[in-house]
Amino acid sequence: MKPGNHCLSERCQFQLNPRFREMRGEANLFRFLDRNHLFFRRRGFFIQGCGNLIRLQNLTKTFAGKDEVRALTGISLEIPAGQIYGIIGPSGAGKSTLLRCINMLERPDSGEVWVADTLMNGLGPQELRSARKKMGMIFQHFNLLNSRTVSGNIAFPLELAGTDKRVMRRRVEELAELVGLTDKLQAYPHQLSGGQKQRVGIARALATEPTVLLCDEPTSALDPETTSSVLELLQDINEKLQLTIVLVTHEMAVIQEVCHSVAVLEDGRLKEAGPVVEVFTRPKSEAAQRLLQGFLSARFEVSRQSPDGTLIRLTFLEERANQPIISKLIRSHQVDVNILFGRIDQMKGAPFGTLMVELAGPPEQKAAAMEFLEANGVGVEVMER
Amino acid sequence: MNSAALSMLWTAAVETLTMVGAATVLAVLGGLPLGILLAATAPGGILEKPWLNRILGTVVNLGRSIPFIILMVAIIPFTRSIVGTSIGTTAAIIPLTVAAIPFMARLVEGSLREVDPGVVEAAHSMGAAPGEIIWKVLLPEALPGLVLAITVTAVNLVGYSAMAGAIGGGGLGDLAIRYGYQRFRGDVMLQTIVILVLLVQGMQMLGDKIANRLYHRN
Ligand SMILES: Nc1ncnc2c1ncn2[C@@H]1O[C@H](COP(=O)(O)OP(=O)(O)OP(=O)(O)O)[C@@H](O)[C@H]1O
Ligand SMILES: [Mg+2]
Repeated sequence: MKPGNHCLSERCQFQLNPRFREMRGEANLFRFLDRNHLFFRRRGFFIQGCGNLIRLQNLTKTFAGKDEVRALTGISLEIPAGQIYGIIGPSGAGKSTLLRCINMLERPDSGEVWVADTLMNGLGPQELRSARKKMGMIFQHFNLLNSRTVSGNIAFPLELAGTDKRVMRRRVEELAELVGLTDKLQAYPHQLSGGQKQRVGIARALATEPTVLLCDEPTSALDPETTSSVLELLQDINEKLQLTIVLVTHEMAVIQEVCHSVAVLEDGRLKEAGPVVEVFTRPKSEAAQRLLQGFLSARFEVSRQSPDGTLIRLTFLEERANQPIISKLIRSHQVDVNILFGRIDQMKGAPFGTLMVELAGPPEQKAAAMEFLEANGVGVEVMER
Repeated sequence: MNSAALSMLWTAAVETLTMVGAATVLAVLGGLPLGILLAATAPGGILEKPWLNRILGTVVNLGRSIPFIILMVAIIPFTRSIVGTSIGTTAAIIPLTVAAIPFMARLVEGSLREVDPGVVEAAHSMGAAPGEIIWKVLLPEALPGLVLAITVTAVNLVGYSAMAGAIGGGGLGDLAIRYGYQRFRGDVMLQTIVILVLLVQGMQMLGDKIANRLYHRN
């Protein structure tokens, strides 16, 4: 987690209050920050985490048809500027619909979509097109123009924006370098691998210097290795360009690897949202717990050793990891602790520990032990009773 | 084969090529915009207009359902008002074009609809206007299909032109009927058929070759 991620956000948030927005008129915060980008960086400020770039308010979307589908129900969400924000949920949860509402590819039936200080669903067709030119989007199946070379694909949004030919050529080269495709500029999409195609998609999405990059399952059509490299690239872009990224995925691993925050969707409803570390270590909603259980149990294949033991998963944040909590627990409670598995994971660079243990002893002692652990800031989740 | 027969064949071939060539060019000029309109106004198209789409669709179907031989006769007044006569190679171009436009339009519509909707959506996400999507996405992406559509239209016109010949349009079909059929000249019949087969083969091969060169997919 980046320093300053939270501290500055509070200070900026009051400026984003609608009352202040009106008072400030033209000179809005984002343009201000943009102009003074270097000043803030030099002084050690992080623009990252400064206020919300995207605010969704009470979004509802129903697809008409033979039987109506309620794709989104009352979704309110705030996406901080500079973050990689994950949206996860099972298939059909409404993730893509939610993402597509952000740039109005899908119009919500009700609710508001704010991007910076533009009300997206209040825009006319021409204004909406201009607004979209400041938002990039990448897709699961890349959606490149087969009739154009890599260079032509990257240049496409620049052509739409009426960019000068010479500027365009230079920009295309810069972008190709950023995504590592300098030697493929004259190739056609069908001559590229999936990972390379997605890199073209990313370069194309970044061409007009958007304030946000929307990603719908950008790695779901890629093999694990290519997935990592594309995720690395997204992370790189997020840091280098201070670009806000909204990333839809159904894979917890993707969230764990790159996201700062995550929203959990199920049945078109927002079940939980917050910093990834919190949602991973202390999931509040059943939806999040289910997703995590599948994710973690696939990776820690442990099972109970004795029939009356209780299998629990403990999660420690970095500052707790050094304290001898387990030995304290054994000393103060009448339980046996059998450590089955332990590991330290990196979550966006921050370490967190996971321990699978089996508790044995009288039930009330086991309950007391779990309370003790929770009181000491350890995440406790019962896997098998 | 004597030189008189040869020159007769040559003249007929030139007439056929003139009719097919001119009608194809005109059919593209008329059919391409009509096809674009059909695809764009269709449900789910980029300029969805169900009413306009239904009207255009009905007109196009009407044009396609009338047998060519009847269409040719039915529009004689129209042909005469444009060309001044209803007989001859030039006059035959008019009914050929009228018949080919709706045919071409449906083929164009089909090619455009085959363009990956994901790509169109990507263009929308980049803020492309409907016109830009047509010119910069749909037409270039569908280009190989459009070339094949033009080829099929032209090949079809070769067949129609033979019928047009029967009512005084001239061309290879006319020659085959007048000499080969009515005067029992089996040799002329065979020669015209060979030329027609070669013509159609050549056109299809050329179309395929161009389409393949434009086709950047595996
Ligand atoms: N254009 C549409 N017309 C009708 N129903 C739709 C449409 N798009 C989505 N839906 C429905 O809305 C619901 C949410 O779909 P959505 O694509 O947002 O889910 P998702 O979370 O992205 O799922 P997946 O992980 O499978 O991509 C689903 O039940 C889907 O069938
Ligand atoms: Mg989806």
